[in-house]
Amino acid sequence: METLTQPVQNSMKPGKWLNSSCKMCIHSCTTRIHVSEDGVINKIEGNPTSPSNNGRLCPKGNAAILRHYDPARFRTPLRRTNPEKGPGVDPKWVPIGWDEALDLVGRELKKTLDEDPRKLMPAINDFQKLFLWAWPAALGNANYLSSVGNFCGGGYHPMNGFIHAAFAAANDVNYCNYWINNGGGDGFSSHLHTAAQANHVAKARVERNMRVVVVEPRLSIGAAKANEWVPIRPATDRQFALGLAHVLVAEKLYDAKFLKKDTNAPYLVGPDGYFVRNGEGKIYVWDAVDKRARLWDDPEIKDFALEGTYTVDGKPCRPAFQKFKDILADCAPEQMEKLTTVPAATTRRIAREFAKAAQIGSFIEIDGRVLPLRPAAYNYYRGAQGHKYSAMANHAFKLVNFLVGAIDTPGGHVGVTLDDQMQDIRGGFGTIQAGENGMLQTMPHQLHPEVPFSWPPNETHLMGFFPIGVDPGHLTQHTLANADKFGLDYRPDTLLMCHSNPLWNLPGDREQWYAMLRDMRFIVAIDILPNESNEWADVILPSHDLLESWNMTMIEPPHHEGMCLRQPATPPLYDTKSEEEIFYEISERLGLLETWNGILNFVNGFHQKPELLLEPTRKYSDREIAERKGKLWNGQDLDWYVEHGHAVTPRRPEKWYRPWEGLRLHFYLEDIVRARDTLRQKMEVADVPFRHEWEWGDYQPLPTAVPDPVHHERADFDLYAITFKDIQINFGESIGNPWINDIVFKDPVHTAVLLNPKAARERRLDEGDIVRIESPYGSIVAKLALSEGVHPDAVCVSNALSRVATQNTGVRHGGGNFNQLLPANLRHTDACSGQPETVAKVKLTKIASVPEAVAAGNSVFGQRSGRIGGKGRAH
Amino acid sequence: MAKWGMVFDLRRCIGCNACAVACKQENSLPDGVFFTKTLSEEVGEYPDVTRSYVPTICNHCEDAPCERACPTGATYTRPDGIVMVDRDKCIGCGTCIVACPYDQRTRLEPEMLNKGLFGDGRLTPFEEQGIGRFTAGTVVKCTFCHERVDAGLLPACVATCPTEARIFGDLDDPHSRPRQLILERRGRQPLPEKNTNPRVFYID
Repeated sequence: METLTQPVQNSMKPGKWLNSSCKMCIHSCTTRIHVSEDGVINKIEGNPTSPSNNGRLCPKGNAAILRHYDPARFRTPLRRTNPEKGPGVDPKWVPIGWDEALDLVGRELKKTLDEDPRKLMPAINDFQKLFLWAWPAALGNANYLSSVGNFCGGGYHPMNGFIHAAFAAANDVNYCNYWINNGGGDGFSSHLHTAAQANHVAKARVERNMRVVVVEPRLSIGAAKANEWVPIRPATDRQFALGLAHVLVAEKLYDAKFLKKDTNAPYLVGPDGYFVRNGEGKIYVWDAVDKRARLWDDPEIKDFALEGTYTVDGKPCRPAFQKFKDILADCAPEQMEKLTTVPAATTRRIAREFAKAAQIGSFIEIDGRVLPLRPAAYNYYRGAQGHKYSAMANHAFKLVNFLVGAIDTPGGHVGVTLDDQMQDIRGGFGTIQAGENGMLQTMPHQLHPEVPFSWPPNETHLMGFFPIGVDPGHLTQHTLANADKFGLDYRPDTLLMCHSNPLWNLPGDREQWYAMLRDMRFIVAIDILPNESNEWADVILPSHDLLESWNMTMIEPPHHEGMCLRQPATPPLYDTKSEEEIFYEISERLGLLETWNGILNFVNGFHQKPELLLEPTRKYSDREIAERKGKLWNGQDLDWYVEHGHAVTPRRPEKWYRPWEGLRLHFYLEDIVRARDTLRQKMEVADVPFRHEWEWGDYQPLPTAVPDPVHHERADFDLYAITFKDIQINFGESIGNPWINDIVFKDPVHTAVLLNPKAARERRLDEGDIVRIESPYGSIVAKLALSEGVHPDAVCVSNALSRVATQNTGVRHGGGNFNQLLPANLRHTDACSGQPETVAKVKLTKIASVPEAVAAGNSVFGQRSGRIGGKGRAH
Repeated sequence: MAKWGMVFDLRRCIGCNACAVACKQENSLPDGVFFTKTLSEEVGEYPDVTRSYVPTICNHCEDAPCERACPTGATYTRPDGIVMVDRDKCIGCGTCIVACPYDQRTRLEPEMLNKGLFGDGRLTPFEEQGIGRFTAGTVVKCTFCHERVDAGLLPACVATCPTEARIFGDLDDPHSRPRQLILERRGRQPLPEKNTNPRVFYID
């Protein structure tokens, strides 16, 4: 037998364990890191003391070591020597010192700011250091090149702000028994704290027999594990939800008590879409017993009417619920089936099962508080809501939950805060406040305060024109291409990117984005690894990675709260700096140090505890900022966090369940009508020339079944292209990491685009064909695989195929970026929320010769790929 | 003495392969080498179709055909049931690879060890520290993370599995979690017709 003096398994080698947290996606699962005696990081595990991820990590979290030791990492500040810029063009970097690099960046940014601050576009996307997002405020400039937020949730985040006064939402896995997932991977493959949520959802599925129904065009992981997969034509999720709502209302399977008592559903709506108010602004309801109008808070009300048509003060009006019921008259499952292809009988059955599972009328006592128990919830995310009429889509999904009384209840659909400091301390977005007329104060702005309207627009993304949306970064392409129409009296010429890859993330024509970047006078990127965007930079400022830096955060935990420590496991491998230090150095060079400290005090909530305040003229390290954030949460210093790793606890029930108790929720969104009219007035006053073509119909207080414009593309574009991620590539850049590549490119769903065999036969296409996928806006090339797990109208493109060749040789070309197929224009952007359409109508054409980039050895398709169906092993 | 075994709960497994990556980092596996991985296969026809995810690993068989086939005694079974390979005795003849009905053994070729995880012929500090456990020309496979188990820890794949689809424990203990699950949910061994008596069971 072999005798060993040293252990061979990494976690058993002599060394030490450190508590930290993960950043391989945007969320923050807690970890423990093993560092060997010679200082090598050789194992990362989940921290078993956290009740959130319970010691578990997803494949990405398990792969962090190879990002740390990736030989492609930026090792020093770099300066471009090749004046030619382009995709795949070698910048011919030369190393420079930090002083030289920061002086150069400071000088160039100063020059731009002195000319016109609007010409500097920041793209700052580190989700775990959200305070960095506020840096542009120091410039007095909101002209970001935003590449996040609007894509995942232009309509999603504001709608959560309207309904829950929160950033995101989740089904309550603690009690849910009937879980509908529509176009989202929660609990299986993506979104909020994936490893943690998969852990809790698996327990609910197996130990409690929670039923899972997944509504999607593609058989995702969730669909494969579900009790039922409901295939649906892409971009028709809203119509499916309205079909469910139709059944719930028509068959009186709704929670009338909740709607009457806890929502504005009984408030009377006039013909102008506004609530009917008295001279003092108080809203009327109809008393169904006394058959007369009363003010909403009249103690004499015997029963709130939800239905009927009335006249109050000479105005015809109806309760908001009746307005919705009128819309639903045209939303019978049989009608919706024509668009969704979901059999009407299926929709009717699911609606009835859902209502039954919701146990309307039941209660549960939690911590001495009696709460409605509604163990059925409809969850959704990017795929379901990423459409032109996104605000309406989001609202429709929420209303299904409203009808059974499952908003913010145990077992129901519950708001999730972006950062719990917001709720308790920051006093801004995410707080529960009383609004007018007994209603919850809506909080549609979850990422930053409203950007004021301006004409000509100060922002090329037109954020001032989306007063209740999320920054529509893609519109920068549209406005720059039509500068005269949009009255642009400046042209951005400077770009600052920080952990941002807009060229990968943004929809629209690649050539136009390339042209915009070529026009830039100066580009600086703060990053770790080469990617599609930072290869255009003039200067690279390399930052520490997640194993070399300090941080304190807890981002979007679906049912926990607290703080997670990140601490360096080793000294920096290379000549890198923390993002905090880099922004301090740049701010100082721009004369903005005091302003930046003031902003940091505000956005981190330090002003709430004066002893934590940053002094105006000092520069602080990542460690010092992290320590303050920890102290703000629970008063503990950094030593405590180093010992414990985190302060994660299950979310307190009073914050989790009905934190708005006593206020009414917004079943009907009058705020959207008001936002429309306010914007219209501003555009009239400013005489904005395109105000008459603005899509005013997108602002609806209740969702309708009007089809999204993507369905009206030319008939020869006869398929719908969608993109998808799985857990191995959830959020952010993963491809290029050898361990991720090793599992992703052995999985047949990620090595070719997927088409239903019947759809392939009809088009005389077959497995292995190389096809051009062409939309009215662009095209990509791909290899075809046939899959029974695909709706016959859909073509499914894994996100693993959407990276293009860069300076990072670990990234394999997959035939082009899916986002190339999508338009970046106003017609396909929700005027209400800023959400762009994320589905493209396409046609497939078999091509004989394979383009060079796709044939290259570095391409995904150069690799062996498995067959999806049949008896063969996939690996 | 415990007899270690594992149960795979197919209802829980989501095919994410966190197990495979955890194993790679725990055991410093060369690129392309897996001690465990999850297979997936589409089953059925649209719209009545699903995808099965099936984790696989060395089954640490009670009657291990690899051990019987090994001409040098390099493959042996520890008293606790873990089937091991002694690299000092392994001559890389590959007989065990042919004998294993589960395709769980890999012969390390020199280029596997030399090319590095990033394929550039250079080893990262992580690899430099870990690669010494391997000898080119010998055969490797899952060891149930024998050193972790000896220290009272769970195998790395079990510890990380997000859905707790891998349940590890003493198959000789009638009260152990794997034994209970095998009983309650009628655990099945892979390829029982091979008469290998695997210490790995599947439940669904």
